[in-house]
Amino acid sequence: MSKGFGPGALEACPAPHARVGFSGGDGEFRRIVIRGTLLELVTFGFYRFWLATNIRRHLWTNTSVEEDALEYTGTGRELLIGFLFALTILIPIYLASFAISIEAERWKAFAGLPFGVAYYGFWQFAIYRARRYRLTRTLWRGVRFWMTGSGWAYMARALGWTLLTVLTLGIAYPWREAALERYKLGHTFYGDLPGRFEGDGWVFFKRGWRLWLLLLGLFGFILVYVLALRNYVALSIFAVPIAVGSFFLLCFIYPAFKAVEWKWWAEGLRFGDASRDVRFASNLRPGALATNFWNMIGVCILVVIVAIFTMIGINIVFAVLQPWLLLPARYAVITCYLATVVVLGVVWRIYMGQRVWKIVVSSISLENLAAVDHVVAKSKAASAIGEGLADSLDVAGF
Amino acid sequence: MSRGSSNSDAGSREPSSSAGEGSFPALYLDGLTNQKHRVTVVPSASLDITGDGVSVAAWCYDDIRRADGPHGVLRLRNAAAAEFARLEVSEPTAQAWLQDLCKRLDGEGAAGHVSTARIVAWSLAAAASLLAVIWFGVPIIAAQLTGLVPLSWEKRLGEATDTQVRAIFGGRSCASAEGGAALTKLVSTLQAAAGLPIPLQPVVLDSSVANAFALPGGKIYILNGLIGKAESPDELAGLLAHELGHVAHRDGLRRLIQDSGTGFFAGLLLGDVTGGAMLASAGRVALRAAYSRETEANADRYAIALMEKLGRSPKPMGDLLLRISDPEKDNPLSIFATHPLREDRLAMLAAAARAPTGTPLLLFGEWRALKAICE
Repeated sequence: MSKGFGPGALEACPAPHARVGFSGGDGEFRRIVIRGTLLELVTFGFYRFWLATNIRRHLWTNTSVEEDALEYTGTGRELLIGFLFALTILIPIYLASFAISIEAERWKAFAGLPFGVAYYGFWQFAIYRARRYRLTRTLWRGVRFWMTGSGWAYMARALGWTLLTVLTLGIAYPWREAALERYKLGHTFYGDLPGRFEGDGWVFFKRGWRLWLLLLGLFGFILVYVLALRNYVALSIFAVPIAVGSFFLLCFIYPAFKAVEWKWWAEGLRFGDASRDVRFASNLRPGALATNFWNMIGVCILVVIVAIFTMIGINIVFAVLQPWLLLPARYAVITCYLATVVVLGVVWRIYMGQRVWKIVVSSISLENLAAVDHVVAKSKAASAIGEGLADSLDVAGF
Repeated sequence: MSRGSSNSDAGSREPSSSAGEGSFPALYLDGLTNQKHRVTVVPSASLDITGDGVSVAAWCYDDIRRADGPHGVLRLRNAAAAEFARLEVSEPTAQAWLQDLCKRLDGEGAAGHVSTARIVAWSLAAAASLLAVIWFGVPIIAAQLTGLVPLSWEKRLGEATDTQVRAIFGGRSCASAEGGAALTKLVSTLQAAAGLPIPLQPVVLDSSVANAFALPGGKIYILNGLIGKAESPDELAGLLAHELGHVAHRDGLRRLIQDSGTGFFAGLLLGDVTGGAMLASAGRVALRAAYSRETEANADRYAIALMEKLGRSPKPMGDLLLRISDPEKDNPLSIFATHPLREDRLAMLAAAARAPTGTPLLLFGEWRALKAICE
């Protein structure tokens, strides 16, 4: 930290951070999701591939790094083809799991466990392949991201780390996240620029352990409470206040934890050689996601209240005025119920999708962006079929 | 992406063919490196892109497609050039010209070039064929597969579900010595008359619910509530004969295969649509009810034939059914009921009524012991 004004002082001055920005309008996204959801209903769900694509196009296009917007080049047709191919894998797995679960049931103690593990493993495989698909469809300044590595190797790691996380009651979670992201990003490239993840599990742990303790305390309390009071009457008296209290505590823990996790994750991202690389910074506060989350809870509660009153209203109208029309009343109630579920789905996609994306992305800035200058495009032509294969399991995500 | 934001004078200015006058600045990315080139674009016979006075590229208008770009920026790609080469135009007047000049801007290969109508049409066709598979194909496949499954597998299946059944109805099975002997006598009489090769395992569970059911592999569960409601051996025997019918037809196994198949295809159809899982399961229940009406009727016919063979009347079974069930016909959710409508069954059983000619199935003492099997 010399205060000299010698030559080179100007060069030593770090370049200003490049901001990552999000310019998508809430109304535009809402229209995309509502229109897509209605089309999903009309098409028996098949439109989901195009809705997922449109959501991603919106998010990518409106996200800019140093004024250059990302571009999503995937298509709904690719996702559909990927889904159809995934079926050829899923059908044998489905049949095998059916046979296994019958066999497993006879070993009573571990009934269903192998199936659960296999399903979880395949899910992890799918997560890896889905990330790969999305990255290879992500373009910035005319050069795309791409990924190597193996979904199966990732799956093995994920299974091992998850086992450790379960055995340690979650203590190992930060190191699990670090290790898995290290694998993913270690196999990620932007053109000829390799990615790297330097997030440290210990740092994550230090930032999040209080929330973990709170969660553990909550579960511990519920467990002790249930075990101590085996009396159903006593249990049921406090069941409602405890359930409501736990719900609100979880609503406090979850967004805070996610904010800590996102910030830690973003700060660990690197692109380039260790000597000269782009570093990511994030100014996400632990409370940054809370408002959005509570807004969502509020909207959901509102929707449910409106739905309940509508259903009660339907019942009153039909029962009082036309007691002989019981059947239409039931169908009206069922329709109302389904509409509520659909509306909640839209709410979920808006608040847990676009809004979270917006908040997280806007918190990020890049140091030394100059390191990505003169990157040369370099990637194998990724087959849409191969990439989209496992994406079918997770098309509703980003 | 803002087609609507073009200037009002867009149409009045024609792009000139001479360099300079109609030219406009743009950003060019060649798709090979991520270097941004500030270029001048000159619309002539083709779209000429020059940087620092040097020609960089020339794009034919018909090859130019719209790519996804941020608000206010027209991002173009060239269907005939490097896949990720991009030209970004920010000037509203220039954007308006380009939209005029590039006739296939939003044609095949452009971002968002999707025909929603086509997706809807194909989806409906796919949905119709999947529904046809579920409605017509799955039952046939299930029936075929049921015939192929060896009996030993079926027995395993029954054993696997045994744990669940016991969990639902309470684990205690009743087996007082005399009661058990009476039950064995009743069941083996029925089995001998039916000539059923599958060994039967009747189990009485200590539950007040009045019901009986068969699981794959010859396991027949009789809930004690049913024995309590039965007033004569013939009533109970009729219902047991009905369950024997299910065993003989391997209905449990077939239904399992059918449910799995239906669930799989319905899942294909609805995927992760919110509320889709619920819709699918509601459809499944309705579908299963439709099938079960048929299977129940078949089991009833089997019971009638079996009782007649033994010289006993099938009608008491109807009396027992009447006693244990509430009116069903008025139930608006009767489509979801897992049993056929009572009146239909009663009518069929009553039509088969006859005076008993064969030997009584149980002696009075045996019947009393069976009634007290759980005590």
